[in-house]
Amino acid sequence: MTNPTATPPLPGAVASLFEPITDAGSACAIRLSVFEGPLDLLLYLIRENELEITDLPISQVANQYLEYLDLLRELDLDLAAEYLLMAATLAWIKSRMLLPPDAGAEADEEGGDPRAELVARLLEYQRYREAADALGARPLLGREVFAAAGAAVEEPPEAEREIEVSLLQLVEALRRVLRDAKTPDGIHEVVGEPITVRERMVLVIDALERAEVIELEELLRGPEGSAPTRSIIVATFLAILELAKLATLRIFQSLGDAGAPEGPIRLRRAGDPSAARAEIA
Amino acid sequence: MEPQDRRRILEALLLSSSEPVTAARLGRVVPDTSAREVREDIEALNESYAAEGRGFRIEDVSGGHQLRTLPELARFVQQLEPVPPLRMSRASLETLAIIAYKQPVTRAEIEHVRGVDAGPLLRGLLERRLARIAGHREVPGRPILYATTPRFLEVFGLAGLSDLPTLREIEELLRDRLPDGDDGAESTATSDDGAVALAIEDADAPPQTH
Repeated sequence: MTNPTATPPLPGAVASLFEPITDAGSACAIRLSVFEGPLDLLLYLIRENELEITDLPISQVANQYLEYLDLLRELDLDLAAEYLLMAATLAWIKSRMLLPPDAGAEADEEGGDPRAELVARLLEYQRYREAADALGARPLLGREVFAAAGAAVEEPPEAEREIEVSLLQLVEALRRVLRDAKTPDGIHEVVGEPITVRERMVLVIDALERAEVIELEELLRGPEGSAPTRSIIVATFLAILELAKLATLRIFQSLGDAGAPEGPIRLRRAGDPSAARAEIA
Repeated sequence: MEPQDRRRILEALLLSSSEPVTAARLGRVVPDTSAREVREDIEALNESYAAEGRGFRIEDVSGGHQLRTLPELARFVQQLEPVPPLRMSRASLETLAIIAYKQPVTRAEIEHVRGVDAGPLLRGLLERRLARIAGHREVPGRPILYATTPRFLEVFGLAGLSDLPTLREIEELLRDRLPDGDDGAESTATSDDGAVALAIEDADAPPQTH
């Protein structure tokens, strides 16, 4: 592993970021000390050259930054867009620094040092980097320390990229279904059939015995053409919550590529449904 | 009940629990015992473990108490563990630190601090149950808010969020002269995660700096 602090200033530093680890055949695998992003790279350059962050020699930094990008390009590495954006920002700041102060003051409503925002971001990033180092240095569960195991907890398969749904999302799903639900139309609705949560729990258990996974909204809407009333939907919803509390089912949603939950909320059979049936009987 | 009897029960409860247990909950199980007595007993147990040179102690994590092995025994325990030891990349740690200190926080705010896309990292943290979705910010676009989980406190051995080390002030960073501040410490802490191997065509030509 390259130790960035042990390397001489650029351009030598750039070259030494790469060190051969194998040289089998004509192709050579090299190791790239990957920066965590443009801010990380800038902090590295500042540290290496012992620059004063509050009075950043922007022209020097910008040149070294571009040298690094050129090198990555020569290696045919895909440059993340963020790196290019930062290059543009540096070029912009550099050009602003070249403007005579009076012309700058006129054109610039913010006034002040064009470097200020970048410096503030660098310092902010440095704060969290230090915090991350402090977190990473703690004895971590599963790395340095291990807990008494207790009874094994069965985890859902991770491959399915599922997360447990928050109550907020559940309520949103309920609202969606209620919005589409049959609204009581006047006098015909006066004599409602008595609905109990217990009864709905039995129906949910029935459904879970037929299928291991059910979509929440499908269950709330009931079978095709049944058009349940609002009170039935609410009772079913409460029954689902009750069964989740009894650990008969777990409520899940998939994780999309953006890291946000997406797609339908699903219920997964967790415990033994017949045991739950006995419990509520 | 004699302290010794209470402590026996507490030990058994902590040994059999897979999650941290609060003093209040332990107190309800052990006959005639208050949460305060539980905490005193736990302290006494830890003192006796240390005096006898035992391989574990009771830690205060995530608002509860948990029996854990000592850090210096990690390399032995790891050999017995069927799963590879937990790995945290520097990118994940940074993202997690931002969430921990700024929560609830949006993805855009995280990305602004780190200057890079946070999507894959956030997904990883959600999957590992270190972060959770804490609702939406009520602004146009209703961005998702992220926060840490009790699991985060457990993994990082924190009693609570107030147990997080104080974030350094910008002024303090400047006093320290930022460039000298961290001496490449981060590069040794997470060295393996920061490296990727890639292939280039020419074996002999050193990388060109033009």
